[in-house]
Amino acid sequence: MSTSLVERDTAQPTRTTAPLDRLLAAEVRWVLRRPRTLVMLGLFALIPVLIAIGIVVADRQAGGGLIGAVAGNGLVLPIAALTLSLTLLLPLAVAMAAADAIAGEASHGTLRGLLLAPVGRLRLVGVKAFGVLVVATLAVLVIAVVGVLAGSLIVGGSGQVVTLSGTTLGTGEALGRVALVAVWVIGQLAAVGAIALALSSLTEHPLVVLASVLGGLIVFGVLGAIPALDWLQPWLLTSGWGASADALRDPLPLGGLGESTLRALCYLAIGLGFTAVRMQRRDA
Amino acid sequence: MSLSTHATPAAAPTAAGVVPLAAKAVGLRKVYGRTVAVEGIDLEVPTGSVLGMLGPNGSGKTTLIRMLLGLTRPSAGTAELLGAAVPKDVASALPHVGALVEGPGFHPFLSGRENLRRVAAAEPLLTSAEIPGAVGTALERVGLTHAADRRFRGYSLGMKQRLGLAGALLVPRKLVVLDEPTNGLDPAGTRDVRRIIGELHAGGATVIVSSHLLAEVEATCTHVAVLQSGSLVAAGELGSLLDAGTGGLVVATPDVDLALTTLRDVGATAFRDAGDEPAVVVSDGPEAPEIVALLVRAGVAVHEARRRRPRLEELFAQLTEGSS
Repeated sequence: MSTSLVERDTAQPTRTTAPLDRLLAAEVRWVLRRPRTLVMLGLFALIPVLIAIGIVVADRQAGGGLIGAVAGNGLVLPIAALTLSLTLLLPLAVAMAAADAIAGEASHGTLRGLLLAPVGRLRLVGVKAFGVLVVATLAVLVIAVVGVLAGSLIVGGSGQVVTLSGTTLGTGEALGRVALVAVWVIGQLAAVGAIALALSSLTEHPLVVLASVLGGLIVFGVLGAIPALDWLQPWLLTSGWGASADALRDPLPLGGLGESTLRALCYLAIGLGFTAVRMQRRDA
Repeated sequence: MSLSTHATPAAAPTAAGVVPLAAKAVGLRKVYGRTVAVEGIDLEVPTGSVLGMLGPNGSGKTTLIRMLLGLTRPSAGTAELLGAAVPKDVASALPHVGALVEGPGFHPFLSGRENLRRVAAAEPLLTSAEIPGAVGTALERVGLTHAADRRFRGYSLGMKQRLGLAGALLVPRKLVVLDEPTNGLDPAGTRDVRRIIGELHAGGATVIVSSHLLAEVEATCTHVAVLQSGSLVAAGELGSLLDAGTGGLVVATPDVDLALTTLRDVGATAFRDAGDEPAVVVSDGPEAPEIVALLVRAGVAVHEARRRRPRLEELFAQLTEGSS
């Protein structure tokens, strides 16, 4: 064993870091082998199904709004399910992934192992952010795909979508709108994930991260609901979370979706920047 | 603490730059709030040595190790690992360093083998194709093959410790740092650790091992560093440290009374040895050759003269209990 090491030493300069693709693959493998990730994804698959069943049972009594628009309009279901989940469940799932990513690893003593391997501290932030993004993407995909299926099979409809504006979209364009909302939701979740990672880099207790994100969401919601604090709206991540309904208008207004995406990018940059700075100095 | 002043020069020939150093600390200091964990430690670990780091609980052993590995930033002072400045260039040294610090850290929901594969994926010196083999070899080396595919959650304390050891041995290392490797291990496990340290030493690797088992350290280490309340109270080669300890000279002779009179006449401190053989112990006085010459000239039959080494345990007690 030692001779092979010597040979390699002379053949090429010693690697000081493992290949990035291998690190990312190991991270995803670890994320997906975590039982709670799998349970969470399974529960997300239930959300569109439950909404679909609820709508069929309540039948035509549903009023207006996004849920009301689903009745007899199956392809609206994934958009409604994503919008509904974005208010609490999806951010919670992402926060959980981010909490495990750094605080959880620290509490298990495995963060030390990664730093000693060594995985560079900056690189580690990148790998961890990737892992959180994978969880967010998978959760959104599960809701979107199961939503399309449940919408078509349980709620039914003509395969076309009647928009909130009263016009009708073909199946292709309707699926395009679902994809647009899915991508937009992933963007919003990336922002939540970055903030959660920043919190995660500050503590060894995953629950602190979860509680902080949950508390933050509630505070943001309350602040957004106070009319006297209207001036605060442009700064709150949550204030643009109703924009997904825009996807059901014709012609498609991109203002709300664009603005909230821009806001999410700001949160993302701040969160990742803070995490990177903090990880440089963190004891492990 | 006269002992440390005796002991430090003993390590000097190896530390003077003739022998390259595997690790070096200069004035390392770490303060947590108002608590001083490590107070200005200078330490040199020669390449190829097995350094036993001793000290009571809370004496700063782990903090010192963590600073050497770049896991914790020192409040003051500098450290070097395999010639690389810590923490600035530590990334170039760490691939050659295996470490088990503050107990084994693994994920409970993964099996031992999967945990190790995850660690191996981050090892720069392993190609992806080598990983399964390296993991298998490391598991075998610590005697954990039979339990490799059980979840870490169900491992006993000793098995967890063995897995941590396997993680440090995934790649042939230049330096292996083991913080309390024998924690929770049964006697067979302790023997395994001793064997592994021996193998590493024979292979030319440097080993830093902190332990409470003084007999283990005495059996495996070439060098020792003794910490007390965050300060280094003694460091150097095990042999010269023990020689410098207050052991004295044992002279085996049937003429005990004549020997005692002769020695006391020249102002030496001597007393009858408590052992089975008739002998005198000279604990203070002239140098050994002088004593022997003196006795022979006085007509004392000297059968044997040997340094009486204190056991490491006695030395450790003198060093750490005397000053507290």
